[in-house]
Order: sequence, then C-alpha cells, then structure tokens
Amino acid sequence: MALTTAPNPTPPAKSSVRTPAKARGSGRMRHGEGLAGYVFLSPWLIGLMAITAIPMLLSLYLSFTNYDILTDLSDVEWVGLANYERMFTADPSYWHSVQVTLSFALIAVPLKLAAALGVALLLNRAWRGVGLFRGLFYLPSLLGGSVALAIVWVSMFNRDGAFNSFLSLFGVEGKPWVNDPGWALETLMVLAIWQFGAPMVIFLAGLKQVPTELYEAASVDGASRFRQFVSVTLPMLSPVIFFNLVLETINGFQGFTAAFVLSNGTGGPVDATLMYTLNLYITGFTELEMGYASAMAWVFLLAIALITALFFSTGRFWVHYSDGDGN
Amino acid sequence: MHPATSPTANAPAARGHRTLQRRSLLRRLTAAAVAVPLLLGAAACGGGEEESADPNAKVELSIFWWGGEARAKLTEEALALYTSKHPNVTFKKTWQANQGYFDKLATLTAGGDAPDIFQIDDNYLTEYASRKTTLDLNKYKDDGKLDVSKFPESLWQYGVVDGKLSGVAFGENTQGLVYNKSLLQKHSLPEPTTGMTWEAFIAWAANVSRTAKVPGTMDPSADYKAFWVWLRQQGKDLYKDKELGFTADDVTKWFELWKGARAQGATPTPDVIHEGNATDITKQLVVTGKAGTSFVWANQLPELKKNTKDELGVVAYPGDPSAQWARASMYFSVFQKTKNADAAVDVINFLANDPEAGKILGTDRGLPSNMDVRKTVSESVTDPAMKLSIQVENELGAKFGPSPQVPLKGHSKIRAELIKAAEEVQYGRQTPAQAAAAFLEICKSAIA
Repeated sequence: MALTTAPNPTPPAKSSVRTPAKARGSGRMRHGEGLAGYVFLSPWLIGLMAITAIPMLLSLYLSFTNYDILTDLSDVEWVGLANYERMFTADPSYWHSVQVTLSFALIAVPLKLAAALGVALLLNRAWRGVGLFRGLFYLPSLLGGSVALAIVWVSMFNRDGAFNSFLSLFGVEGKPWVNDPGWALETLMVLAIWQFGAPMVIFLAGLKQVPTELYEAASVDGASRFRQFVSVTLPMLSPVIFFNLVLETINGFQGFTAAFVLSNGTGGPVDATLMYTLNLYITGFTELEMGYASAMAWVFLLAIALITALFFSTGRFWVHYSDGDGN
Repeated sequence: MHPATSPTANAPAARGHRTLQRRSLLRRLTAAAVAVPLLLGAAACGGGEEESADPNAKVELSIFWWGGEARAKLTEEALALYTSKHPNVTFKKTWQANQGYFDKLATLTAGGDAPDIFQIDDNYLTEYASRKTTLDLNKYKDDGKLDVSKFPESLWQYGVVDGKLSGVAFGENTQGLVYNKSLLQKHSLPEPTTGMTWEAFIAWAANVSRTAKVPGTMDPSADYKAFWVWLRQQGKDLYKDKELGFTADDVTKWFELWKGARAQGATPTPDVIHEGNATDITKQLVVTGKAGTSFVWANQLPELKKNTKDELGVVAYPGDPSAQWARASMYFSVFQKTKNADAAVDVINFLANDPEAGKILGTDRGLPSNMDVRKTVSESVTDPAMKLSIQVENELGAKFGPSPQVPLKGHSKIRAELIKAAEEVQYGRQTPAQAAAAFLEICKSAIA
C-alpha cells in the first residue's frame, strides 16, 4: 500500500524545466491542450466519481440508516445518529478495536521508522554491493499487504514454527506466539516493522539530498559523528521524516490483511488482533450491519484526518525546509 | 483501476466534437449517479412474476455453492445431467471454498446480482429469509412442483422460517464425536461409546491423555453445536421462539464443566484449542494429531479422513443422544427476485429427488434428503469413511429427538461470540461466570 502512495518526494524543481518546452506550441495548440487535459483526466475523473465519490456519499447516507446489505436500498430505515450513539456508548468491541489499533500504531510505526532510518543510514554508503542490500531490505515491503506473507508469518510463529525451533537452539522455550492473546498483536507488529523497506527507500533519497558541504563544514568545526547526525542529518531530513511519519501512521491505522489472515477473519485469539478495519469488515460483511459499519468507516476517516491535521500543526515546530526557514 | 472509456479524440479535435463529448460525459456521469440507486430499486420490483410462458425458452440459471473440488465436480455433473434432459436450461456455475462464501453472497445480493440458486446453511438461512432474499417455496410445494414428500418431516421443516419454506434441505447430518481409532488401539484404550455421560467422557479423555500422551479430546466449550446438544440434554435449547432458550447460569455451568476437564488434563493447551476452533476441517485436532477426538458433524467424516492416515471412528456426542437431531446440513434456496423462479425450483426438485442425480451427488452434502434416494445411495457407496458416516447417521437416526427451530437471525454472531467467551475462560482471562454474563448480554443484543 505504501508503495503506490509513496512517490519519491523530490522537490518540484524539474517540472519547471519541462513547462517552457511544452508551451512552445502555438495558441491553437494551447486550446487543444486544455481538451487533452480533460480527456486524459477523464478516466481518473470517472473513476473518482463512480467508485469513490458516489459510494462515499452513499455510505455517508447509509451510516444514518439500519441498512443491512441484504435489504433493498429503497427499504432502508433512517435511524438518525443511532449508529454513532451505539458506537460510542454501547459497543465494547468497538472500543476494544480502537484500543488494539492505537496500540498497534503507537508501537509499530515509530519502531518501523526507526528501523527504516537506521538501515538507510547504513546503506547510504558507497560499498560494493550496497545495491543488493538495498534491494533485499526493500523486498519485504514489495510483498506489502500480501496474504502469502501473512500465512508464512503464521507458520513461522506457531508453537511448532521455525521461530520457536530457533529459540530452542538456545534452550529457550517458545510461546504459541500467534495463538496467544498476549502475543498475537505483537507478532503482527514485528511483521509490520519488518516491512520497513518503503520508508527506507524514501529516507535514502532524503539522505542523498543532504549537501556534503554541511558535513564538511561540521567536521571542520570538530563535530563528532553523532553530533553531525543530530545537528545536520536530522534537521535536513525532517521533511522526509515528516512525510514518512504521516504516511506510515495512516498505513498503520489501516492494517488489515495480516490481522485478517492470522485470525482467520475473526480478530482472535480472543479479539487480540481485532484491528479497527477488521472489526469494520466483520460488522459489515459477516454480521451484515452495513449501516453501522458505514458509520464506523466515517468515524475512522475523521479520526485519521484529525491525526494527520495534528501532525501538520506540530510539524512547523520541528520540520525544517532548507529554503524559507532562514537557513 | 478503472478502465479508461476510450477517449479517442485527439488534441486538435473540432470544437463541436469537444463540447459534445463533454456534454455526453456529463450525461454519462449523471446517468451513473442516477442509475445505481435506480437499478437497485428496479430489482426490488422484479418479484419473479414475469415468468415467460414458453417452457422451452432458453434459460440460463446462475448457481453458487461452497465446498471443495470434489463437490464441485459432482455438482457440475448433476447439473449437466439436468441440461441433457432440458436442453434449454444452462447454468452459470460458481463455487468457492467455505471461507468468504457468505461475504461474497451478501455482496452479490446487495448489488442486486444474487445467483438464482444458492447454497445456504442454517447459520444464515434466517438472516436471508427474514430479509426477503429467499423465495417462499410453499406455493411450489403445494402444487407439487417441489416434492418433499419423501423427505423426513423434520428435515424439510428445518427450512421453514416464519411459515415460509425458505430453503430445501440438501442432505441430513448430525453431530458426531470423531475419534482417532488407531491411536486408541495402539495404546489398547477403550473407544468412546454413544450414551456415555459428559463426566465419563471427560474422565475417559483424561485417561487417554495420560496413557497416550496426546490430549484425549479437544475442548468443545467454544463449539456451539456441542453447547447446543448439552443444553437440550438439560431440557433447554439455544432458541425458544424469538428468545434465547438458556440463561447465563447454563453457560457458566458449561464453561465450568470444561474448566474441570482442562484441570484434569483431558484437553490440550488453550492455543491448540484455539487452532481447533477454526471451522476449517484440516485444522480439526483429531486430524492434526493434537487431540484424540473432535466435535464435528458426522457427514464431515470422509473429508476428515482425507487429512489423516489414522483410522477414525464416530459416535454420538456424550450424554443422551436423543438431544441430537437430524439437521439439514445445507440447503438450496432460490433468490426471491430471480426471473426464472419456475426453472430454478425445477432444478432443485431434480437435484433432490431424481435417483440418477442422487447417485451422482452421493453423500457429499450429507445423507440425501429423499429417503428413496438415500436408500439407493447407501447401497452403492464404496468409500469406507462415507459408509461409516451413513451407518452412524442411520443408527443415531433411531435415537434422534425432534429438530429444534431454525436458528434466529444473529446466530452467526452468537457462534462467533461463544468462541470468544470460551477462549476468555480457556486463556484464564475471565472466570466462567464473568464470561457467561458478558456472552449473554451480547446474545441478547444480537437477536434483538
């Protein structure tokens, strides 16, 4: 998921080079370009309307109804805010899933970013074969939200899985990690952290953009490696950190596939892996309460929007852009 | 993501063309915006009344079921037989494994695109029937187009929801305690018997654990059908009319029974029990070698046998076997808004009652509902596991009590919640009484 939404955050400098070349054409051509623009846009626009905007609006409407997926839309009953009320006051499993998701995001996301940055720093050198390592570290996130990976994970972290066999080499008795309500979510976190490749690649790109003169100047001033990292690398990298943080947090909240596969679609053992989106899915498709599930989806959307807004409002205290910041 | 709608116009296209295109684009968008709800609304008025009068008109029926490849092969063969007899009727066949079947069926139904004929079970029959998704087949039963006269009374009755015949039972099965015969023989242990008490069974299982070093039984406290049979043995039931047929006290007793069993070492550790709670047959502990017995449906025996080299045996659940009943293992229902209701019903009638079709389908969906077909099929079956499951069904059939009512709407939720509540106790996170109280609250709101 991160892949499709994570373009390389290169500054838009290059496009300004291209524009004049395009604008060389005559006035007639410029008119044509307008049309061409719309034509090229239309698949996306139609897609946006038909499979995003209309369904979204429909789901907003349904969130105020008792729609249960099998009933005709013409028969749905308007229930006002009842779904929202139930969510906040009368559904313990809802709050449980909120808690599971929050703890997942709060633990897995920072660790994943730390791992990504750490490895990116290691791979930001010109060794021989560094490209191979970059590829290898990136591989797990290529497999992204894949079902196959989750299945492998389950068999690795079973009671008689590979991980416990490994532990037993050191005389440590393992646990039934994925089947233990105290550890199932943690196992998922490890899986998420392991897939740090996508943010790592972005960090690498960011690191490449830090001007070497800054390091040279710092080392002339006698700054230690660590000091250089704190005073040069981190501030220069802060826009990239910010970008990764926002993106990975959103991804973390949306974690679904692994939890679904690991628990056979139940969120078990004993709701330990009942992520928000999984709960939403179960509510909508297994328990057939699509109206209620729609309400959950909208609260989810708002929550993510709120968290993202929060990041943006705190961002100005720690994100430094090399231009415009007075540097 | 979205297929491009072939924007053929090149950049220097004529101006008129452009506005036309833009207008038609807008029109298309508007049309789409209007059409979606309209389509759904229009589907509502279908009602299956516009039957074409010509019985030889070409008809394509869509049919959807869940199951393995073996079932798919048999079903396709039986449908081909139907087509050979009624060349004007062809089928659009779709099937898939158990997982995700009902998600897909619900989605198709929501899109107004439900299959004409679909397989369903008692977990969802009421959900679908009470939402006017299944066609009421009473009319066809009354005028003889759908013949259930050879069915055991309680079996076809098990498809009646709120007075409407909502599904035709395809196959009968019953609760079966499947045990690992080879394991018991190897350690010269006695086999479990029909009619032993729950306490005797647990003691037996504890003995197996001690002797064979394999847990004697899975812990069925999360298994709704075991709980259900046990309830009926206490004179209760899972549902009574529109209410729950049990109290928190009953659930507590049930959980405590198994807490005791775990304390005696009769069952595996909670994580292994959790594995066995999956509906997937390949994860049943009796075939993964992690327990001596599993609580399953008797007709699953042949499928279980495929996953183990050990010899398996089957008896009734512990306690009085008259608490068990002939359950419709699954049904075929007709979508209420199908355009070809008559043809669809005729197909179901054929699959259920035609002796040749019966021979092809065998006991894959349980014992054939039609007693005549059942007799011929029983005589011709060669697979030993299937033979055994027929024999068990016939033996137990004599001891069966009356069927309970079809589960209420919300049954699937209750099943899922029972697993959670039982696991809370198994993992030692809640006492039986706590888990029972929480479970009951959820049950009440699930059927409300």
